[in-house]
Order: sequence, then structure tokens, then C-alpha cells
Amino acid sequence: MTAIATNPPRDRRSPLERAYARLGVLLIAPTIIVFSLVIVYPLLAAIYLSVFSIYTPTLQGDFVGAANYIELLTGGAFWHSLGVTLIWTVGTLSLQIIAGIGLALLLHQNIWFRSLARSLVLFPYFLSTVVAVLVWRWLFNDLYGALNHGLIQLGILDMPLDWLGSMPNAMIGVILVGAWKYFPFVVIAVLARLQTIPENLYEAARIDGAGPVGRFFDITLPQLRSVLVVIILLRAIWDFKEFDLLYLLTGGGPVTSTQTLSLLVYQEAFGLNQMGQAAAYSVGMMLVMLAFMVLYIRRTGGK
Amino acid sequence: MANVTFRNVRKSFGEFVALEELDLHINEGEFVALLGPSGCGKSTTLRMLAGLEFPTSGEIMIGDRVVNDLAPGKRDIAMVFQSYALYPHMSVGENIGYPLKKRGIKGRERDDAVQKAAELLQLDALLDRKPKQLSGGQQQRVALGRALVRDPQVFLLDEPLSNLDAKLRSYMRAELIELHRRLGKTMVYVTHDQLEAMTMASRIAVMHGGRVQQFDTPDAIYNRPANRFVAGFIGTPPMNQVEGTVEGGHFITGGHKVPIDRSAYADALRDGPVVLGVRPEAITIGKGEGLPATVRLAENTGHETIVTLELPDRTRISARVEAARRLDVGHSVALTFDPDAIHLFEASATGARLNLDAKSASVVSMRSK
Repeated sequence: MTAIATNPPRDRRSPLERAYARLGVLLIAPTIIVFSLVIVYPLLAAIYLSVFSIYTPTLQGDFVGAANYIELLTGGAFWHSLGVTLIWTVGTLSLQIIAGIGLALLLHQNIWFRSLARSLVLFPYFLSTVVAVLVWRWLFNDLYGALNHGLIQLGILDMPLDWLGSMPNAMIGVILVGAWKYFPFVVIAVLARLQTIPENLYEAARIDGAGPVGRFFDITLPQLRSVLVVIILLRAIWDFKEFDLLYLLTGGGPVTSTQTLSLLVYQEAFGLNQMGQAAAYSVGMMLVMLAFMVLYIRRTGGK
Repeated sequence: MANVTFRNVRKSFGEFVALEELDLHINEGEFVALLGPSGCGKSTTLRMLAGLEFPTSGEIMIGDRVVNDLAPGKRDIAMVFQSYALYPHMSVGENIGYPLKKRGIKGRERDDAVQKAAELLQLDALLDRKPKQLSGGQQQRVALGRALVRDPQVFLLDEPLSNLDAKLRSYMRAELIELHRRLGKTMVYVTHDQLEAMTMASRIAVMHGGRVQQFDTPDAIYNRPANRFVAGFIGTPPMNQVEGTVEGGHFITGGHKVPIDRSAYADALRDGPVVLGVRPEAITIGKGEGLPATVRLAENTGHETIVTLELPDRTRISARVEAARRLDVGHSVALTFDPDAIHLFEASATGARLNLDAKSASVVSMRSK
């Protein structure tokens, strides 16, 4: 703006256009300022911290250069947690998408309890994670849990199973709870899109000889494509960073079997009091996510 | 190829009755237009034939088969939608080939059929485009291509031209007539545009209030309308209707006698109230002898002038005169009607034609609800 004001001969815009431009700058300024404070500053601070060895309680420490990053690349903890994160993200995201599309299709039908079901389906998403996890831990409990009790009653199990304390049950457990908690998001987004698909397309397909399955793959799925791209992008980011659900459910255990990168960073920073190393891990985590997102946006055409 | 029969078909949506009672027989290879104002039941009729709606009662037959319980894909029909309903994510070629794909026709055979349909509709240069890259007229042709690629028994067209501009519409009308002549297939065409129905159809079913009012050739629909609705719906401007009475074989309105051709009515002409129908082109505007009227409006369209006239009882009628004729608004004139072009209807609001011949009478008989 100052450049514009001090160079009047080069500015051929009318006073009204300049007034609009000033208004525009004014309107986006709050966003820019808040964004800088809460995103840009912590990001730069993390990168800065990651080249120090810092003791968390005192926040004192020495410059160590790339040592934290060498530990990241060679120490194994990062790569192990990255693997866990990928299994968790892919597993829970796939279930969310499949369950979400399935339930959205069901709720799109003319069923008599539709409006009630549409509100109820949001329930897991509304529920606070702490509450949800407490309920699930009770269900999963190996001694008095409802899940084991039910499965034994049905004759599927003959012995109670340790759901969250052993592998691969713990991973299956967190993936299931994650899917349960977040699939409503997929339902709502998909349902909104389903309602805008012209009925004519289905009628034309029926006349052209497509059955229900054919109509799903030839019309519904291609029509959902654009919204699925966005949902998968958003949910992948959020699942990749998921912290509270995993921390509360297993705390990363047994041992480090469900310790995702978020949990690793937390453990390093507040369990082992190594803030510098934790910062290096979080920078690594960000780079991995960035790489995935760039790849994904390229693959889906960025349309 | 096949004929199409509706037998005692009734359709209601809850309380709302869309079709009262439909009996319609469409011959093999015929081009039939279902014509009527919106809400008359014409689209419902077509959608029932397609299998997208189910009749509440009655039977629908294609050829010798009762199709009531057949899925749309099994009826061997093709449909062109008003909105075209092209699959947006598929190319033109994939759109046209889709009905074949769904019937398990693969490879060369499908490609050849798509190519043939595309050439017929001059779409061969556009096969790789997506529908949204096409103009309205091109999308229309893709929808047609998807319909004719499969060689179905019956073509169903639901207002296919109403989204096109006037120029393209008249071009596509000619194309469709040509296409029907070439394919010789049974076609059922829904429209609210009488010009489309009159120019394209071999027979027209004029529908109103969930009933077929008249099912006949365009010529008969225009020249022998079966009731006052058909008379008032067909023609631009439509047929004038003048209330009056028959006394001793003459039509009397406002104390003036209008000569009619009594021989055309035989014993149907009884004394009592009737409605006289006369088309704007059968009215002569003159001086002296005739029905007195006042000129209210003269609209010159270039090749003719439509004159709106007011009779002493305030009924407004329109007459068609040559464009050069000057008529001053407010002037009194005398009207004479061509006796051979006069139609008489029963005086009820839904009045049937007085001298209905047996054939159309069986189809029509519009009853008041």
C-alpha cells in the first residue's frame, strides 16, 4: 500500500479502485496476523529448537547442529513410529470412507426414520474424545468388558481376549474406534453431495440397462469423486496427526506398538524431556506429511 | 419394432390423480406426440412406458408383452430426456456406448456401433469430448445417439427440444422427422409445444386434466377439434369461442343470427345453448351485414395482422387479416364467419363437439368431474 501511495504516477487506478484495494487489505489483515502468530511463529520456533539439545523443564540447552536429525534418521524410533502412523492412518481412513459412503447411501434412501437417523449418525463425532475413549476402554476391557462377554456368549471366542494390551489386537482396536469416531464426517459430506446428483442420471442408466451395482460404480462413485478427494485429503491429515484418541486408548502401547509420530513427539518432549529431539521429530513429521500431500494433490489432478 | 398399448391405465400419487383413465394404442413405426399443458399427465404417461413410474392400475404393452413388471432396462426402449441426462464424467463416445456396454457388447462391435451412431448425428469429431465441453445442440445429439445406438423397439422423447434456442429447435425438428423416416421406429414424443407436435407427429394425443382429449392426426386435431379444450389449445391464436343459442337451426348470439351449415349436423342440432368455434382465419372483417364488433387491438407480425375484436357481450375474439390491412382501434366493424369453418360445441365448460364422428367419440368423451 505504501508503494502505491508513494508512486502516484505509476498508479493509474481510480480513487474508487484504490479504496477497494485498501478495504481488501484491511479485511484480510486480521487473518494474516493471527495466522502468523499461531502457525508461522511455532513453525519457525520448532525448526529453531530442533538444532538444540534442550531439557524441557528448564528450556535450557546447547546448540547441537544436525545431531537431532542424525538421531531421527538412524535411531529407528522415528521410522518405527512412521510405520505405525501409516498403518493407523490407512486402516482407519479406509474404514471411515467405506462405512461413511455405505451409511450415506443408506440414509439417502427413503426410509421412514431417515431424519432421526441422520441426526443420530453424527453422535460419535459430537462426543468428546475422552468420554468416547472411556466407554470404549470399558467395552474392550479384558476382564469385565462387554465385547469379550458378547463374543464368548456368541461362541466366537472361548477365552477372553486382551484387546488393547497385545498386538495386533491393540492396533485393530484403535483403528476401529478411530473409524467409529470419524466416519460421521464422511457421511455428512457424502450425503450432501448425493443429494445434488440429478435423478435423471439414474433414470437414464436404468433405461440403459444398468443394475444397482452398475449405477453405483458408473454414476454415484464418479459423481462423488470430487468430494471424496477433499474428504480423503482432510481426514488423512487429521488422522495422521491424531493424538488424543490414541493417547487415551493405548498411550502408544503395548510398549510402542501403537506409538504414532504424534505420540512419539509427545513422549520425547514431555516423557523424556528432550524438547530439541521432539522438535526434530515434529519437523520430520511435517515433511513426511508435506510429501504425501504434494503427491496426492498431483495425482488427483488438483482440479 | 413394436406397437404400444395403454389399457385402462390409471396413475395417482397419493391423493393426486395424474391420469384418470388412459387408453391409447400406438401403431408400429408411428410417431405419436403427447401434447398438453404442464400437469396434464403426458410426462407421467411416458415415464410409465419407460418403467420409471408404475401405473396404479391397468396394463401397458410393448408389442405382445405386458411390461408392467419389467425393469426399464429390459423393455427394449430408449429415452431422451429434456435435460439430456448425459453422464458428465464420460466422454461422448462412452456416453453413446454405455447402453451397449451394459448389455455386454464389447470391443470392435461396440466401437463400430458408436461410430455409426456418431456419424449419423455428425458427432464423430467430438467422440473424445466431455459433455460439458459441448453446446446445447451437440449435447442434445449425444443424447439422441445414446438412444439410437442400441436399435431399440420404441423411442421415448421427453421434451427433447425445449432447452434449445428457437433456431436450433426448428433445425432439430427437421432432423428428428428425417431420423424417424430413416429408422422407421415407433416414437413417443412428449411436448407442450403444439408446433412440434403438429409438424412432427403422425398422430397427436392432446391431453388435459389426466385424460386424453383427442387422439388423431394433426389435420383432424386442427380441423375437427373434439371439444372446447382442444379447440382452445391448438392454433396460435387458438380457435375463438362464442357463446350463443341454437334456435330453429340458426346460431344466435347477442340477437344476431350467424349462418351455419346445417347439413353437417343432421339431428345433432337441437335448440338450446351452444358454443360456436371459429378460427381467426375464417373471420372476414367488413362493413354493414354481420356480427357487430369493435376493434380493440391490431398486431402486425410482418406477414399478417392479428386483430383483437370485442363483441357486444364483451367476448374477445381474434381474427387474422393480411398485414397491409389498416384497422383503427375503436372502430366498429361487422364480422362474417365462413359457414364451412364453423364448429359447434356443447355449452358446458368441457363441451364436446356436436357432430363428433363415431371414431373420435370413442376416444374422447370428456366427462366433467
